Amino acid sequence: MFSALLLVMGFFAGILGALTGIGGGVLLTPILALHFGIPIRQAIGTSLVAVITTSAASSSVHLQRHTTDIRLGMTLELATAFGAAVTAYLVGYFNRNVLEGLFAGFLLYSSITILARGGKLKDEETVPPNTNGETVIPPYEPQRYPLGLAASLVAGGLSGLLGIGGGPIKVPVMFIFMKVPLMVATATSNFMIGVTAAASAIVYYRRGDILVEIAAPLAVGVFLGSLLGARLAPRIQTKYVVYLLVAIMLYLAGHLCVHLLSGGSAA
Amino acid sequence: MSEVREPAFDRVVALVLRVGAFTCFFVMLTGLLLGLFIHGSLPEDIERAGVLLMLATPVVRVLVAGILFLREKDWRYGAISLGVLTILLLGAVFGIGEH
Repeated sequence: MFSALLLVMGFFAGILGALTGIGGGVLLTPILALHFGIPIRQAIGTSLVAVITTSAASSSVHLQRHTTDIRLGMTLELATAFGAAVTAYLVGYFNRNVLEGLFAGFLLYSSITILARGGKLKDEETVPPNTNGETVIPPYEPQRYPLGLAASLVAGGLSGLLGIGGGPIKVPVMFIFMKVPLMVATATSNFMIGVTAAASAIVYYRRGDILVEIAAPLAVGVFLGSLLGARLAPRIQTKYVVYLLVAIMLYLAGHLCVHLLSGGSAA
Repeated sequence: MSEVREPAFDRVVALVLRVGAFTCFFVMLTGLLLGLFIHGSLPEDIERAGVLLMLATPVVRVLVAGILFLREKDWRYGAISLGVLTILLLGAVFGIGEH
């Protein structure tokens, strides 16, 4: 029964993730911590498995559309993987209240950013397909590698700390500062999440912070949910889904704050 | 460099990710279903294998991309891939931390 509940939860997180582009980890970690009484560090490690599953499934689709810049991704992964591995180590020495506070702050920040954009998750960029119906990517050369690597280090660090993908940092940096087309920046960021999450997940696993009996049903649910979500995406008004996501994130942020203020006793 | 798109390269890397994700899905599902009927450690061991395969998938993806770069004699990106692989493996070797 317990596994079935986790599977269903992963399924909905997977659908929401595929429809909005926000990784399931953002929702799964606080839900595991608040409603399943799992210490936040194990909640982060466990949902990292679901994050890797989502990234593998979705970036294989991007790759087949040839919108991923593997060379750029691999270069920036030097920084994201390093940052993620380092903070994954440091998390072992963090107090759970600090982690819950950081997570609540991250949820609030993400919600406000989405609302400030009027419910749009990212700036849309329309690239007209050519006569064969294929997407044409304008030629480009990534600029300012040092800045890109520095931002990736921060994104990776946040990923190892909170079990999130770090797309909200990497995509704008690649798009605005490195002059990479938005479509390529999005696909490449997605591509990098798997390796970044794996760099920290390996450290979490070795520390015993991945609960297998929870990670397995969650990952199975997330996998099915993201497959369905990807099929639903073209047919659904994502705006309402985004507001639903923001509502859930705000609820979880508030719940985390209450949890913190009550001394972590209320589950 | 970036304006040169290599469809074959993309396809191989996509295949690694797809095979990894599907394999893990079926392994974990097998563990879960067995858990409904069998008591003992077998279902959990199978689930653990699925989780470990999931953690290994990105590592294999870096390895395969690195081999493809080296086969193209693209030493620079071959070396970068090797660097990423090293970071990933260091985490596995020095996985010490407090419980």
